[in-house]
Amino acid sequence: MADQANFERDALQYSRQLYSAALRMARNPSDAEDLVQETFLKAFRAYHTFEEGTNLKAWLYRILTNTFINKYRKESRRPNEVDLGDVEDLYLYRRLGSEESADASRTTEDRVLDGLVESDIKAAVEELPENFRIPVLLADLEGFSYKEIAEILDIPIGTVMSRLHRGRKAMQKRLWEFASQRGLIPEGAERP
Amino acid sequence: MSDECGEARRHLYAYIDAELDSAAAAQVRAHLEDCPPCLHSFDFERRLKLTIRECLSEEMPESLLDKVRALIRQETA
Repeated sequence: MADQANFERDALQYSRQLYSAALRMARNPSDAEDLVQETFLKAFRAYHTFEEGTNLKAWLYRILTNTFINKYRKESRRPNEVDLGDVEDLYLYRRLGSEESADASRTTEDRVLDGLVESDIKAAVEELPENFRIPVLLADLEGFSYKEIAEILDIPIGTVMSRLHRGRKAMQKRLWEFASQRGLIPEGAERP
Repeated sequence: MSDECGEARRHLYAYIDAELDSAAAAQVRAHLEDCPPCLHSFDFERRLKLTIRECLSEEMPESLLDKVRALIRQETA
């Protein structure tokens, strides 16, 4: 059992990380701030149920995620599936021509990875339906393990893996479109 | 692309996410040492993951932490 007196010391160290995730979930700073405040308030009230020595960060993310899902999501009518059509694995990598010519493609890869701006990557994540977006955020932004993500979201590990896989593919497809729009793809690299 | 390449790439995300057990990870690593095209593709995915992580981190408004502290103190008052 954790002592509420230690809450500020133990839990608030995760506030910056929680805010980054909250912002990508809620997609605007004002809702993200509300989400973080509500998360900490709920966590404080329930802190006596937290078992000391277990994973506090994952426990806080579980509260954050549930709070978001219950209160802030405004996309119940949005599709909860990603249309992957013919999107294959290594989508971006293959389209950069990397499979054929390693030397030429390194330049293109550098140009794409350096040339995609922050807003492209944020948009690619935010456009994902939330059942894909949240596992991607938990894995790629927070570095949680599959097992931790499964516990945070209360879904089987196999589902975590498949949502991560599909979410990342959908993101790569979107990033390819951004890279094309920004003129980062040289003639000949693009393969229909 | 050989069967071994296909097998290694099947584990691509689990490998870069450090989710493979040590025997499976060693098998992938051994393949990558022998197969520059696969190594190249794994490196690309790793760099992309890193780029995404860097771009998604946000500065938290300083005032937010004060608001959270105030909320908590209000609860205990």
